[in-house]
Amino acid sequence: MISMDSSRCLGCFACSNVCPSVKITREDGEQRVIRFSRCEEFCDLCVEFCPGEALSISPEGEDFQISFELIPCRACHTPFATRPMLRRIIEVVPEELQKDSEGISWVEICPRCRREMERERAARPAVRSRM
Amino acid sequence: MPVYVDVLRCIGCKACEVACKREHNGKPHIAVLPAEGRAAVPLLCHHCKDATCALVCYSGALTTDGDRVSFDAAKCTGCGICALACPFGVIWSDKLAHKCDLCYPAELPSCVATCPAQALSTDYDVVSRRVRYKAAQASVIEGKRSI
Repeated sequence: MISMDSSRCLGCFACSNVCPSVKITREDGEQRVIRFSRCEEFCDLCVEFCPGEALSISPEGEDFQISFELIPCRACHTPFATRPMLRRIIEVVPEELQKDSEGISWVEICPRCRREMERERAARPAVRSRM
Repeated sequence: MPVYVDVLRCIGCKACEVACKREHNGKPHIAVLPAEGRAAVPLLCHHCKDATCALVCYSGALTTDGDRVSFDAAKCTGCGICALACPFGVIWSDKLAHKCDLCYPAELPSCVATCPAQALSTDYDVVSRRVRYKAAQASVIEGKRSI
């Protein structure tokens, strides 16, 4: 079985992606819930791949789950990311890179809306010349 | 050496998307999006000089390598943080991250080779020359009119 230091979990997709026996599942809604079921496999892929080093092998344990509130996109208000993942971006990316060419801070805007903004920006010369 | 886009030339045919899909097992790294019924834009990784995706990547799958941002699928855990760290929203992930790899090590990305309108190029000079030509043309016409 595995145990978790919940203070280190980012709420990302790594463990559920690498688990070969599908014992780690996740569900997204208003919240992201990651469920860990008892496993008897002799593998430690989830431990090895956890970016936050939150998981470890333990001799016994029960099923458990962890849930994260998803931060809503500043533009479309759809919940899209966990706080620890955004915190990592804010900490690692230099401040001047957290703004786009138009000075808009993009970190708390969801990738879908960012792509929309990029589409509008990129299409502007063509749209204008065809007005 | 990213792929440069001349949006004035794009005809929105999505041939680049199809070529990219064919090259990457059905998972395209380029998307052609319509704009106000007047234009279409292919969106793909810019291969940023200061690549924020590579800065946040935990596993070392994304790295800045000369003038491209390279991706090593063998190292990717699919954690998804790169998709959250791309300012342009052009990385997506399922069990792995998906972003333009310039069809490395091929000489020419398949989208560039395929584009029938020559809207895509890996040569910055080609695209910038066209833009400068247009600007010059516009200013000459302006000048004549004002006389």
